[in-house]
Amino acid sequence: MTHVELHHGAATDVGLVRQANEDAYLATPPVFVVADGMGGHDRGDIASAFVVEEFARLAEGRYDLERGTAVVDATLQAVQDRLLAYDAEQRAAGAGDTFAAGTTAVIALLVESPDGPRWLLANVGDSRIYRFSEGELEQVSVDHSVVQELVDAGRLTPAAAAVHPSRNVVTRALGGAAMPSSVSGAADYFLLPLSAVERLVLCSDGVSGMIDDPSIAEILARHDDPRDAADALVAAAVAAGGHDNATAVVVDVVGLAHEDPYDSAAQRMSLEQKLGALP
Amino acid sequence: MSENVSDAEPAATPATTGPTATPGTPGTPGTPGGTGAWSYRTGSWLAVFGPQAAIVLPASQKDQVVALWATVDGGAGFDEVLDGLLASGLSRIPGFVLISTHPDGPTRFLLRGTGVVATVTSGGTGGTGGTGSAGETVTVDGAASHTWVEQTVDDVTALTITLPDESGDASGAGSGSAGSGADFAIDTGLVRVGRIDRPSVVGTSATEAPEAPAVPEVPDVPVVTPAVVDVPDDGPLTEVMEVVDEPLVGDPLTDPLPVAESAEAAELAAEPDAEPAAEATPEPAPEPAPEPEPAPEPAPDGWVTPWDQPAAVDPEPTPSVLPLDAGAGTGAATEVAPPGWIPPPPPGVPVPTPDAAPDAPPLPIGSWEPVTGAYPPPPAPPAPPTPSAPAAPAAPGLPGVEHDGHTVVGGGEPPSPPIPGIPGQPQVPAVTQPVAQLLVSDGQTIVVDRAVLIGRAPEARRFTSTEQPTLVTVPSRLHEISSTHVEVRPGTGADLGTAVVTDMGSTNGTVLVQPGLGPEDLKPGIAVQLIPGAIINLGDGVTIQVTRP
Repeated sequence: MTHVELHHGAATDVGLVRQANEDAYLATPPVFVVADGMGGHDRGDIASAFVVEEFARLAEGRYDLERGTAVVDATLQAVQDRLLAYDAEQRAAGAGDTFAAGTTAVIALLVESPDGPRWLLANVGDSRIYRFSEGELEQVSVDHSVVQELVDAGRLTPAAAAVHPSRNVVTRALGGAAMPSSVSGAADYFLLPLSAVERLVLCSDGVSGMIDDPSIAEILARHDDPRDAADALVAAAVAAGGHDNATAVVVDVVGLAHEDPYDSAAQRMSLEQKLGALP
Repeated sequence: MSENVSDAEPAATPATTGPTATPGTPGTPGTPGGTGAWSYRTGSWLAVFGPQAAIVLPASQKDQVVALWATVDGGAGFDEVLDGLLASGLSRIPGFVLISTHPDGPTRFLLRGTGVVATVTSGGTGGTGGTGSAGETVTVDGAASHTWVEQTVDDVTALTITLPDESGDASGAGSGSAGSGADFAIDTGLVRVGRIDRPSVVGTSATEAPEAPAVPEVPDVPVVTPAVVDVPDDGPLTEVMEVVDEPLVGDPLTDPLPVAESAEAAELAAEPDAEPAAEATPEPAPEPAPEPEPAPEPAPDGWVTPWDQPAAVDPEPTPSVLPLDAGAGTGAATEVAPPGWIPPPPPGVPVPTPDAAPDAPPLPIGSWEPVTGAYPPPPAPPAPPTPSAPAAPAAPGLPGVEHDGHTVVGGGEPPSPPIPGIPGQPQVPAVTQPVAQLLVSDGQTIVVDRAVLIGRAPEARRFTSTEQPTLVTVPSRLHEISSTHVEVRPGTGADLGTAVVTDMGSTNGTVLVQPGLGPEDLKPGIAVQLIPGAIINLGDGVTIQVTRP
């Protein structure tokens, strides 16, 4: 495998409203994680910490395509198992029958394949994964949330979803088996070629819910250093109100930017030439 | 057979059966002037009789038979059926018989396989065939050629084809040694056979003729040749001869017609014994009784094969076939012409039948309806959130609270299945049997047993850990190929068992060339079924050839 050098930065903030930071992150190549413990449930900080602890075992490893998916799946299951055990333990200690710790998780793992390295991405809940290439921001993950399902069903516009009163309700979560309606903890996976991602962003909804995508893109474009970018994202979220814990992890693939131009520009140029639109 | 005969004779209690027969259920023993009725004996081979052609294949070719049934039954001619038969290659078919039965033309037939023997008699009754002299009888063996033997004979008065039984030994033509002695008449339908005769020989034996009250009723039957009731273009003599050879169960005269009824009557009658429906003619009731028959009662002991098996294969043909079988002890019924019997209408006249009659509009070629009995339901769209979904937030315990950063789990929200990447497209299925193989022009070979995403730098979106797609990177020096250009995956629903290709919104588009068709531009997001031999052109000199797995 060709050596891939990853530069990364991460930042988190409790925000202006919450008393505790229930977000957690992990930035240890080749694995990057953001988890958002659920404030609506007990001890969300413990739940998100479980995610980070389990995925920390993947650090410094090397994974191919097949194994990467299996490892992430197994790790998520391990988190799930710990959460259920923790719930049982707390209930036994008198925490009440409704005690159930839960968390979201977004994971990025660098995997090797015959066609070169790829990002294997996984998502449970409403934390997000973005990619930033050629100055354009694209949300890769699809939220497991009520509003996203309404959007998918065509009953809500993305703009309306951003202010929908139910936008904090997720439809999947780790620890979900103990929660209402047996919420699924199954992850959605994504595979992107490394060359298609100059910069990868993982964040909790404390960031994506407080600042809109154009603002995120503007901040990412302004800061070349991923550490600065992560700090700036979290700072902007807090400045925008800080209603929730805000966490961001930014990962750059060094030496990749702009050297393998994304085809769209070249294709647009070609089309303009064909149409005689150029002077 | 001997049993049948003996039963039949003593079973001279047609009277009982007659009344029980459902009046007004016309059988169509033979359609005069049209395609003549066939008769067959049960065996291991599968035969499809249609208005214009008949085809017989070994039991191992069941899939082929099912596929061809719609074609044959839809009125396809000789050439069309042959095309369908050979579509998958001659080498895969160890033996077959294909016969053209067009009323106006000479009889054409193809034979292939060891032990497949045809005995054809031509010119028996005054017809002057160009190729056959009067009364000439020829025996043709399917093993005579490495590929197949073809014969065209004018004025055929009798055609008998015998098929080797499962163990491989062929019964001699006309020897009457075929495994099951009973002959069943049939016009159209799908049945298991060991021997077939055209025209029908059912009821040609003279023994029980006297009993047949039906005779007078038979409009078509020439009085002179009562024996050959159903033969439209018959050479009565020759047939009679043959028939005689064979231990015929039935009554010569009556049966064809009465048979139909008797057959049905027999069915209706709870006790097979009472009315031995000996020759129960598998009456093709192409225009089955105007009155829908009550659901067939469980077959009495005597009832055997032909009835159930075709039905099992395909429910539809059943009504047309209705072979009553001459199981032991059911011999006599056929003789009795039910009093209420009404002659079948001429072939051309559509009879209102609740059930699909064989004469009904031909099914579209390739229709799978008969096989499955129902079209696969359209892929269910992703379940829309239940109406209650918006209300869900209240449940978790933060009713009416403005978003304050507390993330909660949606109570009452069913776990949603993974939503396909392309709205409106069926969900990507999990890993399946390989349905195709892709040969990329840069030398890669990919088996399609799951979603395959092909492009310059392909990306996979929203899959589960158990259905990870295959990503195939192809070179694109000029960047004409998009990062994720097309998807090829196993089809679902109507496309089950094949591969389908979908343009994933590529910048420059995708051209698909299917065998025998012109180039087709794929529409983004619309899946198109791939035929082996298809070529997918991605641009930049990259093509993908689709082959069988």
